[in-house]
Amino acid sequence: MSDDPDKVGPTGLTLKEAEEVHSYLIDGTRVFGLIALLAHVLTAFTTPWLG
Amino acid sequence: MISYRTIALRKLASIGPRYLPFADVATEEVPLSRLIRLSLFQVTVGMALVLLVGTLNRVMIVELAVPATLVAGMLALPLLFAPLRTFIGFKSDTHKSALGWRRVPFIWKGTMYQFGGFAVMPFALLVLSGYAEAVDAPRFVGLGSAALAFLLVGAGLHIVQTVGLALATDLVKEEDHPKVVGLMYVMLLLGMVVSALVYGALLENYTPGRLIQVIQGSAVLTIILNVIALWKQETRNPARAREMEAAPQEHFKTAWSNLVAQKGMVRLLVVIGLGTFGYGMADVLLEPYGGQALGLSVAQTTKLTALLAAGTLLGFGIASRALGQGGDPARLAVIGALIGVPGFAAIVLASAFVGPALFIVGTGMTGLGAGLFGHATLTATIRNAPSGQVGLSIGTWGAVQATCAGVGIALAGVVRDILVAPGAITGSQAHMPYNVVFTIEIACLVLAVVVAVPLVARRMKPSRRQDTVQQPNPVEVP
Repeated sequence: MSDDPDKVGPTGLTLKEAEEVHSYLIDGTRVFGLIALLAHVLTAFTTPWLG
Repeated sequence: MISYRTIALRKLASIGPRYLPFADVATEEVPLSRLIRLSLFQVTVGMALVLLVGTLNRVMIVELAVPATLVAGMLALPLLFAPLRTFIGFKSDTHKSALGWRRVPFIWKGTMYQFGGFAVMPFALLVLSGYAEAVDAPRFVGLGSAALAFLLVGAGLHIVQTVGLALATDLVKEEDHPKVVGLMYVMLLLGMVVSALVYGALLENYTPGRLIQVIQGSAVLTIILNVIALWKQETRNPARAREMEAAPQEHFKTAWSNLVAQKGMVRLLVVIGLGTFGYGMADVLLEPYGGQALGLSVAQTTKLTALLAAGTLLGFGIASRALGQGGDPARLAVIGALIGVPGFAAIVLASAFVGPALFIVGTGMTGLGAGLFGHATLTATIRNAPSGQVGLSIGTWGAVQATCAGVGIALAGVVRDILVAPGAITGSQAHMPYNVVFTIEIACLVLAVVVAVPLVARRMKPSRRQDTVQQPNPVEVP
């Protein structure tokens, strides 16, 4: 690890960098969540499982 | 207690960066293994293309009994996204990131869209075809979801390919660009050939469950291969991040007019459009032509496609070598287009008198020409790119190339469907409509050559002067 004061946490990323990596994670979760939701709705149309 | 904490933290610090998707140091020399790893994104693009153009086309019409016009419309949707490649490339050039990344975020997003489209697609298709309880579903659900799935896959594959190619160009030095372009093309072809075989084998005994497995399997494979491809490719670069933050916001319009003002760029784009259109139409028509007009069996026409692919591979190889040794891409593009002219002429003549032997020669030649032409035009585009705008340049290439190839394939598909339809012309007249299309292709290629000639002429003058100063005896590959 370097002595750069910007670096936070064990990975050695700066706060801004860590926030950016995090934003990709959040985006991914949102997109995958929506996709899963849509897939479930479509499956429900084909083979209804909720009665 | 405190010492445990320090030890744990130190441990984490030492392993942490290994599990983050960026390289810590920029290496001067990028090893081949890393480039091959990057080129995996082309495999997923090839996979998606085969699934869209070949496999699903058949499955939707034959097994799902969706009306052919609707299928054609759905499969044309990804094409709508092709012109936007220019904008995607521009965006990746001017992307602002705290990590100093330009390409990886886009490849990741494109991968997500491609995955998402494939994940939803089988269910959307089943609803569209009215499978099981979906008969009672409102019509718009099937239509809307299928359209969305195709749009997502299209958007994803266009983003991934554009930005992936830009990243590959970023990684290597200028004199190595032809090799990288060659590698990328070979991997695309490989992805297409292998996935066509695999899809064919997997969907031989069609069941709805199998369709879901195959398409969703493609989705998972897409994400796995693309993550392997982009892992640690772009360096974390604080200096570039500061530069990005300070850089003034560039407008698309200025960047675009800058690109178009580049000498010979518009001409090159026209050449790419014409040539790609000419070669694109052939892909779909060669097999039915061999079967209907020349009476070849299915096994024989399949070998023909293999021959076409082999010719294309050879073309990539020759182009990589010639351009790597300092050949002029514009001249090679002209040669590539010129080889297609006698190639198609041979194919046309084969139905008139000589027969299959000439057809085989013609097929090999068109494959070779397509390989040379594709490689040379992409290399020319990269070399013509204004500094710092490789993404925009490759995006524009992709927009023209994908649009023209797509329109060519679609048109050829229409022609083929009219011909294969029952009650169509048979027997000795079967070759006529095909030959009209092949003649159009010859015309396109000749036009491409005519438009390209000034590019070659312009290049000759300054390069000759340079040659006498720098290299007394440049190595030329015929």
